[in-house]
Amino acid sequence: MENEKFDLKGEVETLREACLKPTRTFGRSTQLWVGFLLIIIGWGLYCYIHQLRHGLGVTAMRNYVSWGLYISTFVFFIGISHSGTLVSAILRITKQEWRRPITRSAELLTFVSLCFGGIQPIIDLGRPDRIANLVIFGRLQSPLIWDIISICTYFTGSTVFLFLPMIPDMALCRDRIGECTTRYRKFKKRLYTFLALGWQGTKSQWHRLETTMTIMTIIIIPVAVSVHTVVSYIFAMTLRPGWDSTLFGPYFVVGALYSGSACVILGMAAFRKLYHLEKYITERHFDLIGKVVLALTMVYAYMNLNEYWIPAYKMATAEGHLLADLFTGSYSKAFWTCQFGTVLLPIVVMSFPKGRKITPLVITCIIIAIGAWVKRYLIVVPTLLHPFMPIQEVPESWSTYFPNYVEFSVTAACLAGIFLIVTLFSKLFPMMAVWEVEEGLEIDHDSKTAVEIRTKRHADESKESEISKVQAIK
Amino acid sequence: MTTKRIINCGFILKKVALAIIITGIFSGNIDAQNRPQTPAKVEATIALSFNKNKDSHKTALAIVKVKEEGKFVFARNAWVNFYAMHNNQLQQLRQVVTDSKGQASLELTKDIPLDDSLYFTIVAKIENDKDYEDASEQMHYKEASLALVVNAADTNKTVVAKVTEMSKGGQEVAVKGVEVKFFVQRLFGVLPASEDFTVTTDDKGEATFTYPKKIAGDTAGVVTIVAKMVDNDKFGNVENKVATNWGTHLPFIKDPFPRELWSPYAPWPLVITITTLFGGVWCVYCFLFFQMWKIKQDAKKLAKS
Repeated sequence: MENEKFDLKGEVETLREACLKPTRTFGRSTQLWVGFLLIIIGWGLYCYIHQLRHGLGVTAMRNYVSWGLYISTFVFFIGISHSGTLVSAILRITKQEWRRPITRSAELLTFVSLCFGGIQPIIDLGRPDRIANLVIFGRLQSPLIWDIISICTYFTGSTVFLFLPMIPDMALCRDRIGECTTRYRKFKKRLYTFLALGWQGTKSQWHRLETTMTIMTIIIIPVAVSVHTVVSYIFAMTLRPGWDSTLFGPYFVVGALYSGSACVILGMAAFRKLYHLEKYITERHFDLIGKVVLALTMVYAYMNLNEYWIPAYKMATAEGHLLADLFTGSYSKAFWTCQFGTVLLPIVVMSFPKGRKITPLVITCIIIAIGAWVKRYLIVVPTLLHPFMPIQEVPESWSTYFPNYVEFSVTAACLAGIFLIVTLFSKLFPMMAVWEVEEGLEIDHDSKTAVEIRTKRHADESKESEISKVQAIK
Repeated sequence: MTTKRIINCGFILKKVALAIIITGIFSGNIDAQNRPQTPAKVEATIALSFNKNKDSHKTALAIVKVKEEGKFVFARNAWVNFYAMHNNQLQQLRQVVTDSKGQASLELTKDIPLDDSLYFTIVAKIENDKDYEDASEQMHYKEASLALVVNAADTNKTVVAKVTEMSKGGQEVAVKGVEVKFFVQRLFGVLPASEDFTVTTDDKGEATFTYPKKIAGDTAGVVTIVAKMVDNDKFGNVENKVATNWGTHLPFIKDPFPRELWSPYAPWPLVITITTLFGGVWCVYCFLFFQMWKIKQDAKKLAKS
């Protein structure tokens, strides 16, 4: 038994070192990566200032398509923000032990995608200085106001949800930072001390943390569902072909969960490889979360069928024009590629255990993530180009839309911003919830010990019974 | 080792910042190169009119326009010099800059010099403006009075507009054959009071307008009738107003915007639902923040003990 205890201690120590190691270095490759991201962000910022100075006319958006790439990106980013809720909250509430190494990256993905998703509608405004008017003079009946309320609520909740399990880890970082000889280390020490909230791991502190975590886990799920439902209301509550649907709420929520969990897999694979966490994020984790994505893809496929099959059967006038354009017209290539690539292919690949191995799963998830982005574009843009009143008496170029360099640059800058925050976060804080994984190791160790005791007891009992039988025969 | 890396990181970040600044400056230069040279002066046209309102305030209004891409647009920030002309001599009155609607307005005082026929001449000029070519326009008008009298007979209600002008002898004399238009004042402007809203003055200088039976007034039935001489060759624009209680009473609506989805105020069930749902969530957040504060307090207690 003593030997077993020693092994557990060793395991815990190895885990702590593995998690804290990336926070102690800022290597040449990381510097280059950060520099590369800053260049993209700088260029995007320049393009955005250009857009601010000269108005939205510098983009490809015109009167009919006023929600282009920016709003498609907004829906996509808000969608992937659901990853944290699914993986962390749902798996936590259902007591899935395998969740432990991946919750931090999922929660972080939620936080950063909300940061950059939330600003997309502001970027889409010609006069962003007037955004406060939406709050000051907004009508509570407007889905835009619901959107602001629910996104702010979700953002606050997600930040708390990310922060709470970090408190014991912050204390660990604080205690292990060592001598603060440089200004950077002093800064880190101050940061850890501030964020650790004086954590000493006392019984009362653990009790409070567990209480808050439980409450947060329960409350974040309906808040997350409300966010994407309300995002769908922005579309569904307008009278436009393609958007006038009662299915949009659940359709958006499922689409968000499905694309979000695919992005979590990508994050898991990246951190596993970069920070050598193969011991903790194992093939089994990929297999299990692959099954989750498979289930969500099937639900999404079912929703997709309902979303397109019912109006396609009726082919009502305005809806018919839109669907014809999607099925056989100018958007048909993107539409069918999206359907086959993001619905049919993932189902086929992930249905087989070999398809849930790391490499095929990562490739499938990359296709899902890109496809989900294109799908948002296909929800937003074609509908705007097929209004009930036909487009007339405007320049011909207004009846088509494809984003130009300004929109691509600003969107790329937002994506680079996500990568930058994730990179800097991973260089400051452990990318796995150390105490949660430790807890998992202890449970695992206890269960192993329990099995051994049980096996030994069975063995002893059978031995005793054999002895008694022998004695009885004698 | 770590310090060295951090220094390297700082160096790279500085390089990136420098690259961004250079890109910005370079792009700015491209913008500057593409920008057209200082444009030549634009040809402007001035339209000048004379207006006299109810309170006998007289104004000269100059509207300046320029031609852009085949269309006339208002010229803003053009400096207009107003002059009074007497015996072929120009006497400067004032310099006024045009607003976003291309308008420059000058209030005319009583000491505007008149000629022998009691006409005055106002000249508006754009001179040496940095953006606009020189332009000039003049007007030549005589002052007239427009008096309004309302008559509420048994069946017909009439409004009489009497137009007079000043004679050389200093007496007011009636003006015959002048068109007077009758309007009703509304919130954002005036509307013709009836289909036949133009009446010509008779020998007595009077234009009699028969008031239509149903014109909506305010809650007290008050209607403001406006009589106007519009672009008269001799007198310019002259107007007068009179308030009567001949209008139909507008019913008083106690609550013009009941709480509905489509009105400015949200229905109570919606307000209560949203407030309860999100208010509840925020209350929970507050509880969580309180718990986090308690975690910190626990640590402080532990440190003290």
